Amino acid sequence: MAERTIKVEIKRQHDPDGNAVVEKFEIPYRPNMNVISVLMEIAARPVTVDGKETTPVTYESNCLEEICGSCSMLINGRARMACSALVDNLEQPLRLEPLSKFPVVRDLQVDRSVLFENLKRVQAWVPIDGSYDLGAGPRITPQVQEENYPLSNCISCCCCMEVCPQFNVATGFVGAATIAQVKLFNDHPTGKVLKEERLHAMMGDGGIQDCAYAQNCVVACPKELPLAQAISDVGRQVMLQAVKDIFTT
Amino acid sequence: MASTPKIIVIGGGLAGLSAVMKIAEAGGKVDLFSIVPVKRSHSVCAQGGINAAKNLKGEGDTTWQHFDDTVYGGDFLGNQTPIKGMCEAAPAIIDLLDRMGVPFNRTPEGLLDFRRFGGTLYHRTAFAGATTGQQLLYALDEQVRRYESEGKVQKYEGWEFLSAVLDSKGVCRGICAMNLRTMELRTFAADAIILATGGNGAIFGKSTNSVVCTGSAQAAVYQQGVCYANGEFIQVHPTCIPGEDKLRLMSESARGEGGRVWVPKTAGDKREANSIPASERWYFLEEWYPKYGNLVPRDVATRAIHKVVYEHGLGIDGQPMVYLDLTHIDRATLDRKLEGILEIYEKFVGDDPREVPMKIFPGMHYTMGGLWVDADQMTNIPGIFAAGEAEYQYHGANRLGANSLLSCIYGGFVAGPKAMQYGKNLQAAEGDGGHTAELKRQEEINRRLLSSSGAENPFKIWRELGDVMTKNATVIRYNKNLQAADGQIQSLLERYRNINLSDKSMWANTSFAFTRQLLNMLHLARVIVQGAERRDESRGAHYKPDFPDRNDEKFLKTTKAFFATDTNGPRFEYEAVDTQFIPPRPRRYDAVK
Amino acid sequence: MATATNPSSGSAHRGVQPLRAGQGHSFLLRKLHSLSGVIPIGAFLLEHFLSNTEALKGPAAYAAQVKFLNSLPWVPVLEWGFIFLPILYHACYGLYIWSSGKSNITYYPWAGNWMYMAQRWTGLIAFGYIAQHVYHLRFSGVRLADHPGASFAKVHHELANPWMLALYLVAIIATSWHFSYGLWLFAAKWGITTGDKARRRFGYVCTALAVALITLGIASALAFLNPKYKYGWTESPSAQTTQSQLQMPDVAASK
Repeated sequence: MAERTIKVEIKRQHDPDGNAVVEKFEIPYRPNMNVISVLMEIAARPVTVDGKETTPVTYESNCLEEICGSCSMLINGRARMACSALVDNLEQPLRLEPLSKFPVVRDLQVDRSVLFENLKRVQAWVPIDGSYDLGAGPRITPQVQEENYPLSNCISCCCCMEVCPQFNVATGFVGAATIAQVKLFNDHPTGKVLKEERLHAMMGDGGIQDCAYAQNCVVACPKELPLAQAISDVGRQVMLQAVKDIFTT
Repeated sequence: MASTPKIIVIGGGLAGLSAVMKIAEAGGKVDLFSIVPVKRSHSVCAQGGINAAKNLKGEGDTTWQHFDDTVYGGDFLGNQTPIKGMCEAAPAIIDLLDRMGVPFNRTPEGLLDFRRFGGTLYHRTAFAGATTGQQLLYALDEQVRRYESEGKVQKYEGWEFLSAVLDSKGVCRGICAMNLRTMELRTFAADAIILATGGNGAIFGKSTNSVVCTGSAQAAVYQQGVCYANGEFIQVHPTCIPGEDKLRLMSESARGEGGRVWVPKTAGDKREANSIPASERWYFLEEWYPKYGNLVPRDVATRAIHKVVYEHGLGIDGQPMVYLDLTHIDRATLDRKLEGILEIYEKFVGDDPREVPMKIFPGMHYTMGGLWVDADQMTNIPGIFAAGEAEYQYHGANRLGANSLLSCIYGGFVAGPKAMQYGKNLQAAEGDGGHTAELKRQEEINRRLLSSSGAENPFKIWRELGDVMTKNATVIRYNKNLQAADGQIQSLLERYRNINLSDKSMWANTSFAFTRQLLNMLHLARVIVQGAERRDESRGAHYKPDFPDRNDEKFLKTTKAFFATDTNGPRFEYEAVDTQFIPPRPRRYDAVK
Repeated sequence: MATATNPSSGSAHRGVQPLRAGQGHSFLLRKLHSLSGVIPIGAFLLEHFLSNTEALKGPAAYAAQVKFLNSLPWVPVLEWGFIFLPILYHACYGLYIWSSGKSNITYYPWAGNWMYMAQRWTGLIAFGYIAQHVYHLRFSGVRLADHPGASFAKVHHELANPWMLALYLVAIIATSWHFSYGLWLFAAKWGITTGDKARRRFGYVCTALAVALITLGIASALAFLNPKYKYGWTESPSAQTTQSQLQMPDVAASK
């Protein structure tokens, strides 16, 4: 009897300007494998199904527990984390491709620095006076903590941006992840000192207005962030700010 | 020399970011190097919480109690002065994190909530759901991003530290790093550098650590002359979920809620767990420890599981795994008390632990040892500082739960300002400070690797290293096995010379970077096994059945390993432990201390 | 990874650009687009659908309604300022929005994503239809402002063509859908329905609205083909006018 195998097709691209080619692999099956362990197996024996020697596949990964946000890629066409994608639950051949909305670095690795840049543009932080001892922080009710905690679970994987029909070069839309952080910091007792600036940033080109409520982000988010809720809350804050601006400036 | 010293911080986890924050705040110039975008650092994996004796539960908790618990938990191997400093600083650190917006759980009054953790009788652990490490890291990441946007911090994400640049007098003058996209090598000048590069789980193949936790940076400076301390102390967590790619933590609360650990009585039993009758199951913890049963302390549980698998050969299906069974508990109870952790198992294994017993095994979890540092967090090479899991000084022979996040932040808070102070008083280097020579040395290493045409796959060597280390240098240690392990590592080092890079391109070549890390891992592995071999006692996480007791007379000492260039291996020295505040006493968790 | 710090990598300007905080006018344009869909276009749509239901009462009632509308002051200003120009803006900017987005329903066949795509296609159908509708019934043939009595006949004539009837039915569905979901979007995006529950509840309201509009629209359209009025439209315009004048108070009262 032939040994059970896993068939994999990987879209590979040697560098940002290179042509993409699909390489096929067939590796021995073991129970409970995830996509990362498939890629590790290929690294230990980088030979295609046709027996051609090739290079180990480049991809980003770190914690492998779906908390660092590194390993998002397209698996059978859909954006998700490779570490939590179990081979037993996937159709074969596995098709692995880089995220399509971000510049390819090499193979499955893409450049997602735009998210970190966006977090700067909306000042996604609490502007504390200093790190010296100034006593306890503001009191926060458990209810507020429970509302904000899920937003603070965003792992910057960029799946919400990848699946968004509005996130692309033409719109330059900021995406759900950043909007959720705007809500998180606007709702913090100290963070709200920058609320007006954040809301004005959100009105810039590529801001919250480009959201079209397809709500793919909500379904795709591996950490199940309440993204639609965050977008509509920030939407209200932005509208109120816009009205305020009309009457006060 | 300079009025505003230039500091380089390597590693963007909690320790690195803490240091960066302090330096930027004090007006210093700081470059932050990290292999991964700093927000993806391994600190995100910490779940439980962070300890501080805030005494908000009316229990009379004090920083002294915290200090005593930490020293006692570490089996008295930790130097007491820095530990005392850490415990005293902890309450203010929690306040600061709170001010930065960490979404800590709250009491109805709006104050911080605290829970109990292992090794203490007090509610001392502040927590943010089950993702405290992630929340802490993000809070610091946000502060550093703020400084970055103000131009006070320059980030070099996607750069890997290769070595320190040392001048003719052996003083650190900067670093040599490799761009992981362009593979370009470059040296960067600095008045002081801080290594905050985490643990070394990758040396054990699979661990609960992240992919970047290779210990490569520590091993690199160790080979340049920095002392590595207490390398043999490795914390192994009893209940991890074995995966094909890594080990994931399964919280102790599963056993706390009634989970039972067992294996089939017959070796190689192929039946499904549920179809094995009770009479053919061996509940070995309940048999060996009738009083505590499945709730024996971590190290005891770890050793028992290890023994059943490796000495009795009774791992499930011949694999190193045992069952952790919750199926006798009703679904509603499980969902109410353990839903979060059961979902993790379901997500990564695909089985429902409410229906099928979980398969678990102890896993390498934490590196107590690390770069030797003084009270200023500076190593024995002037200008090289270290903080976080990369150094050795806060946990002794065993780390208490929820102390790691604290030691990272505290270490960074000490290292940052001390590095600044050091930089201010530094004399100018002679010549170029060794930059040209170091760059040339590193270029030569790269050139040799690329031209190597052997037949050895680096990933295979790494797997073998992991097997050797996990089998011989984790839970139970025998001198004979440790000696054999050292021999095997030396032969891996020999095979490394015949390495074959299947990818020789000079763009985003991850296997090339990995191959460089691998050599460093091999060298550090020898420090671990030889250190363990030399310590003929049992203390904290280090356990030798042939020497089952702690021996303070001979081994109440810090192991200090130096790289000997003549033998290309470690040379050992021992240093007395600072025990000026709490005299050592026997460590027993079955009785009141 | 932060390529911005690495001049040699050269990929800093590839891909989607970051948020242009404080720059551009897309916020204003987008909000105008969204607002114009509700007021005045949506408001006019409702008025138009309700007016058309007069057709159910027969040619006379319908003519009276047409006459009433044309009796409003500043009709050309109302028409251009509140109907034609807003529709033109809404349509053109809508097409621009469509062109900048990219549907991905193949891989993500989820409810919201279907609605996203449907909103674009229904908008296109509605616009194409409205263009032909306005051209045929407003800018060509008998000028109904001057001859309201001919209005029923004019529409009847249009709908007598089965292809035209089919187009009307499709367009009524598309327009009703586009408006109802547009109203839901408006409420969500302007921060009126901020909670998940509020959005779901308002979703039911909008669905009911869509069903009501489609029902009324189709009923009105079919009314023009009612055999009862087969010869009604041949009555002399003057007689019609007198009749409708007499009926006017009733029409107003029935509104």
